[in-house]
Amino acid sequence: MNKTITGALAVALGFVVMVPAAIANPEQTANGAQSPAAVMAAQTCGGCHGTMGQVKDNAFMPLAGMPTSQFVLAMKSFANGSRPSTLMGPLAASFSDAEIQAMAEYFAAIPKFQHEANK
Amino acid sequence: MSTMNRRNFLKFTTAAAAATPFLAGKSAFAADEKHIVVIGGGVGGATFAKYMRLYAPEVKVTVIERKKEYQRPYGSSEIIVGNVDMNDITISYDALQKKHGVNFVFDTVTGVDFDKREVSTENGTKITYDRLVVAPGISFDYSGIAGMDTEAAQQAIVHGWDAGDQLLTLQKQLEAVPVDGTVVVVPPPNPYRCPPGPYERAGLITQWLINRGDKNAKVIILDPKNGFTTDVTMLQAWNRLYGFNLPKAFEKNYKPEQVATFTKHETPGKIQWVMAEEGGRVVKVDVAAKTVEAEAGVFKADMINIIPPLKAGKIALDLGLADKSGWCPVDQKTFESTLHPLVHVIGDACIAGEMPKSGYSANSQAKVVALQIKALLAGQPTIEPVLQNTCYALAGQSDYGMFVADVFRLKDGKLKRADQPRYLPFNASTAQYRLSAVYLHAWMDSFTQDIFS
Repeated sequence: MNKTITGALAVALGFVVMVPAAIANPEQTANGAQSPAAVMAAQTCGGCHGTMGQVKDNAFMPLAGMPTSQFVLAMKSFANGSRPSTLMGPLAASFSDAEIQAMAEYFAAIPKFQHEANK
Repeated sequence: MSTMNRRNFLKFTTAAAAATPFLAGKSAFAADEKHIVVIGGGVGGATFAKYMRLYAPEVKVTVIERKKEYQRPYGSSEIIVGNVDMNDITISYDALQKKHGVNFVFDTVTGVDFDKREVSTENGTKITYDRLVVAPGISFDYSGIAGMDTEAAQQAIVHGWDAGDQLLTLQKQLEAVPVDGTVVVVPPPNPYRCPPGPYERAGLITQWLINRGDKNAKVIILDPKNGFTTDVTMLQAWNRLYGFNLPKAFEKNYKPEQVATFTKHETPGKIQWVMAEEGGRVVKVDVAAKTVEAEAGVFKADMINIIPPLKAGKIALDLGLADKSGWCPVDQKTFESTLHPLVHVIGDACIAGEMPKSGYSANSQAKVVALQIKALLAGQPTIEPVLQNTCYALAGQSDYGMFVADVFRLKDGKLKRADQPRYLPFNASTAQYRLSAVYLHAWMDSFTQDIFS
C-alpha cells in the first residue's frame, strides 16, 4: 500500500466518524491526499469518464484504479497517433508529460467502481 | 420574514428537508463553517454543488433553484424528432441532496445584498453566504428581429433552446409539416449556447423528413454567420447524406484537394445553408404568413424555428453582473465577477475567453471554481486552471457523429485553447464518425452522472 492510498483511507475513516454512513461514498474517500494540481488536471476527464474516473456502465473507459503505467502509455499513444482515436489524440496532445503523470497517479489512487453484482 | 443567519438557516433547512441525512445527522452548525450559496441548478450550478462537497466536505452548499426537476438542454433537440422523450431528459436532484448533502431551496431569487452577502427569495427567505456562485444560464433577445417582438409571435415561433415544453411545440410543428414541406431554421449570432446545436437540429429534422418518406422536403438554414463550430465536418457529412452542395463562399475553408472530394449534386439538396455572405441574415419575420425575410430574399416555410440572439440569464442581468455585451465579465482564473467581489459566475452567462458556451464548459468551470473556492476559504493561493470542452453533435443520422474538443489554459489573463486539431480529421474513417455517435449517446449518460449522481 502506498502513501497516497494510506492517506486516502485516513481521510475516509475520519469522514465516516463525522457523518452517517449513507453519506460516505467511495467518490469522497480519495480526495484529501491528492495534490491540487493533480485534482485540477484530472477534473477535465470527468465529464465523459465519470466523477473521479468512476464511470458506470458506459462506453467510456473507467479511469479509477487504472495502473499508472497503463494510463501514461494510453495517453502518450493517443498523443503521438500510434493509437487510433476519435478525440483522445488531440486532447492527450494538449497535456504536458507532468500533467499526464499527475493524472495517472490521481486515478490510480481512486478505487474502481464496483458493480453491485460483483461486490 | 426576518433575516436568517447561518445557524437558524440550518434549522430552517433541516425542518424543510428532514429527509436529507446529512443535515439530520449533523448535531450543530459549527460557527466557522463556511456557506456557499449557488443560484441556479443547471449544469454549472449542480456540478459546482456536487464537487464543492466532494472537494471540501466541511463546506456547506445551498442551491437555490426554481424548478424541482431539471430538464437537460444538451441533446434535447432529439425530442423534436422523437429519438428520446421528455422523461429521458428529466433529471432528479435527489442524489445531490441525499448522497452529497447539498441543500436545495426551491424558490426564485429576487435580489442580492452584496454588502451583507445575503440572497433574498420570492418566498421571503434570506440566505447569507461566504461566497456566491451564480449559474443563471441564458436569456433571449428578440429586439433585433422585426416581427418577433410580441409575446404572441414568440409563442407561435419558439426557440426550444432551453429545454422545456417548447421542444414539444416544435415536435408538433414538425409533425404538422405537409409532405415535401419546407422548414426554416435560424441559428443565433455568436456567442451562444451549444455552438454546433442549431446545425445538428437542422440535420435531425432533415433526417426525420427523409425517414417519413418525403422526397422533396427542404430544410433551409438562414445564418447570420459565415461559419460555425464543427462546420467543416458537418458540411462534409451533409454532402454525403443529404445532397448538400458546398456554398462557393465557404470553399476557402478547405484545401482545394478537399473541395474536389465534395460531390456536386445536380438537384438542390434536402438541406441548404445560406451563410451570412450569401444573404443569410434574417431581417424580418411574418408570423401569420410564415415567411422569413433574409438579405437573400423572402423564404416561405411550413415550420420556422428561430433561435434569437442570447444574453446571460435574467437574474444575472437584474443583479448587475453583466456588462454592456449582455454577458458577465469574470477573472478567468477564479471566475470571480469583476463587478462584484465574492461572487463567481459560471456557465453560459460568463465571459470565459475562448471557451464556448456549452454544458461541458460549464461542468469544467464549476469544478475549477470549487477548487479555487476551497483554496480561497483555506487562505491558500489559487491554482493554475486547466479546463476542457467537448461538444458532440450528430449530422442528422443517429450513427453519424462528430465533435469539437479543446483544452483551455490561462494566458495573459484569458482562457485560450491549446493549439491542437479540434474536429475529426477531413475524410475521417467510417469507424471514427460512427464511434463519435456511439460516444455521443454514451456521453448523455456519463455526463449526467458526473453532474447529478
